Amino acid sequence: MWEIRRFLRKNLPPGVVPCSQVQLGNAHQEAPGSYRFREAGASRSGLQSGNFVTRTIGFGLLTAMVAIALVACHSEQTAIAPITDSAQAKEPPITLRFSGWQSNPNEKKLLEQLIKEFETQNPSIDVKYEVINSEYMDVIKTRLIGDVAPDVFYLDVFEAPLLMKYGVLEPLDSYMTPEFNLADFEPSLLNAFKYNGKLYGLPKDFSTLALFYNTDSFAAAGLTQPPKTWDEFLTASKVLTIDQNKDGKIDQYGFGVAPELARQVFMIKAFGGELLDSNGYAVFASPNSLKGLELVIDQYRRDRSAAQPSDVGTTWGSEMLGQGKAAMVIEGLWAIPYFKETFPNLAFATAEVPTVNDKPGTMAFTVAYVMNRKSTHKQAAWKFIAYLTGKSGMKAWAKQGLALPTRQSVLAELGYDRDPLYAPFVNGASYATIWQAGENLPTIRTNFNNQFVSALLGEQSLADAMKKAQDTANREIYLAN
Amino acid sequence: MNLLIQRLWRKQATRDALAGYLFMTPTLVVAGIFLVLPVIYAVVLSFYKVRLLGDVNYQWVGLKNFVRIVNDERVWIALKNTVDYAVIVVPTQTILALALALLLNSQIRGKNGFRVVFFLPAVTSSAVLTLIFMWIYNSNGLLNSMLSFLKLPTYNWLGDPAVALKGIMIMNIWSTAPLFMVIYLAALQEIPESLYEAATLDGANRWEKFLHVTLPFLKPVTFFVVVMGMIGTFQLFDQSYIFSAGSGGPNNSTLTIVLLIYQYAFKNLDMGYALALTLVLAMVLMVATLVQRRLFREESLD
Repeated sequence: MWEIRRFLRKNLPPGVVPCSQVQLGNAHQEAPGSYRFREAGASRSGLQSGNFVTRTIGFGLLTAMVAIALVACHSEQTAIAPITDSAQAKEPPITLRFSGWQSNPNEKKLLEQLIKEFETQNPSIDVKYEVINSEYMDVIKTRLIGDVAPDVFYLDVFEAPLLMKYGVLEPLDSYMTPEFNLADFEPSLLNAFKYNGKLYGLPKDFSTLALFYNTDSFAAAGLTQPPKTWDEFLTASKVLTIDQNKDGKIDQYGFGVAPELARQVFMIKAFGGELLDSNGYAVFASPNSLKGLELVIDQYRRDRSAAQPSDVGTTWGSEMLGQGKAAMVIEGLWAIPYFKETFPNLAFATAEVPTVNDKPGTMAFTVAYVMNRKSTHKQAAWKFIAYLTGKSGMKAWAKQGLALPTRQSVLAELGYDRDPLYAPFVNGASYATIWQAGENLPTIRTNFNNQFVSALLGEQSLADAMKKAQDTANREIYLAN
Repeated sequence: MNLLIQRLWRKQATRDALAGYLFMTPTLVVAGIFLVLPVIYAVVLSFYKVRLLGDVNYQWVGLKNFVRIVNDERVWIALKNTVDYAVIVVPTQTILALALALLLNSQIRGKNGFRVVFFLPAVTSSAVLTLIFMWIYNSNGLLNSMLSFLKLPTYNWLGDPAVALKGIMIMNIWSTAPLFMVIYLAALQEIPESLYEAATLDGANRWEKFLHVTLPFLKPVTFFVVVMGMIGTFQLFDQSYIFSAGSGGPNNSTLTIVLLIYQYAFKNLDMGYALALTLVLAMVLMVATLVQRRLFREESLD
């Protein structure tokens, strides 16, 4: 589509507004409901495959739209040409390509509004927004290799080390101005996008994990307040695990567990365990990290008060809570708009993740805007990034409540710390573990997830499973380097 | 020199050959650029460590990639899964296809209707099929409801490593058998009626006719079906990808060779190693095909 557009622009006589801008834009409006929660690597199969279909349908639509647009253009050319103001067309605007994923239809709407505003402020820049919904990082990496990557794109903190190391991103330090006020950003989030002392990305928003609980279930079980410690949490889970019709099949589990590394790193750290050693090799099978993980396994296997999403026919934790299959889940901020849209009658509240070993802990996920090193419009790209992450841009973005703003001033101004639903997420930021651990984390994650599930299902002991995962991951890291 | 060319040109055969190659040029060029060159390139690159992102560089590593395959536990798991899968799926789908073809070749009512219904799965996109099956396999889905209605044990088809691959097997058999059924159906209609008449005169019963007339006649088709089925099963990717969201889990139970290649190539950007794995897969397929050819040829001698 991009090609066609460029072709049209090049080949149109001066004074003709390429009408493809209007028509083609619509082709991107993909079917709603393709939720994607990349932050946590939580995209389970159902979500992913939803995108698969959307994409297939989308592609068909796209082809049709291009065809229509081309035909429409043809007839419109002659009609518009005489009216168009010739002064405007002398200097064709710079086209800035921008890519991201979309976790919510509202997110896209809002972003498009922001882009439109940016374009009015900067008439010489034309932002072309492309949504990549399925396998975002694979697509971006492939496009970077093929030199067709967008000028500005989203980058998950989890994948950042690899791209920063390979030098495909433009360092942003030289563009920084005093009025941009970099010091306003949450330092730990900023640090996640630094490599060898250079800053490669500006975090656009973040979310931590918090405990979501069904207040109706709590009331029915006689619980008045959310659990504060992990022991309380385990006791509450048992009380909340109910077989209503006594058919031997549990109807409501206490807790919906996500057996993924992205959600469990803080459990590894709770008793002093670590994910990596200083050389970047995995060490999560140490006795201290097993102590934390054992709590998760025991709850699932011994107490039987927790279930995985697929055990109860759902695709992710929030769906379990929404459908009443679990009374508690630990999820990110992104679940709030999801509940409000998909389960409007659900009575839920949030609390901080219960303390393990008397220490508070949770995970933090963030996404940054980064600039392609090979971009040909770096100044324009910076202008765009600065606009989106600037104080007013971020405020407009964060107001929707899909994620928290990374600028401390905006966070304070929007008052999320006073909103009972959002406060646990804000409080979590001070002790959260950022979901990032060097460029080998994808390998470590694959192996951990693979074996942790196996231990959860009781195929092998946790110690054996983690040892196996750690050894396989380390061998792969060793051989790949 | 000139004389030689003139003499050659005068020869009818040379002129024919030249014209022939001239006509084939477009195909040769296209196949050369898009097929032969990439294959050669892939073979060469499998001896390199390739870095594509950022500054592209190639580093000769000799047989290191292949040595790594031998020591890579996940390759063996993937290979085992793929072989398990092929061993169950290929015979089942072949027999099912033959049975369906025989059924539809007989004089039953509404034959055409059945043909359409049976063939529908083969023309549906595998991505769509997988999605539909994921609904059927859901813990509270159709299959488990039916099983519990019949008082049979239910499974977490998507989450339990013990049954995840079996779920994909069932789905694949269901969707591929019809395609091979059509091939069998075409072959069945080629068998001359006179052979059956002669067999009847010799006192053969139905089963004997099937065993001694139909089956030998279908041998070349069966070879084709088995080879294609084998290649198809070894290249299993989309179903297990959608099932496991690309991880090959739970506990590597849906990890197939092609999925592993995808993970190394696009998740880890380790092109050299991924290409070495691709070569190994090609080798395995070639050997499997040769073995089958030998088997089928030997039988056709007697």
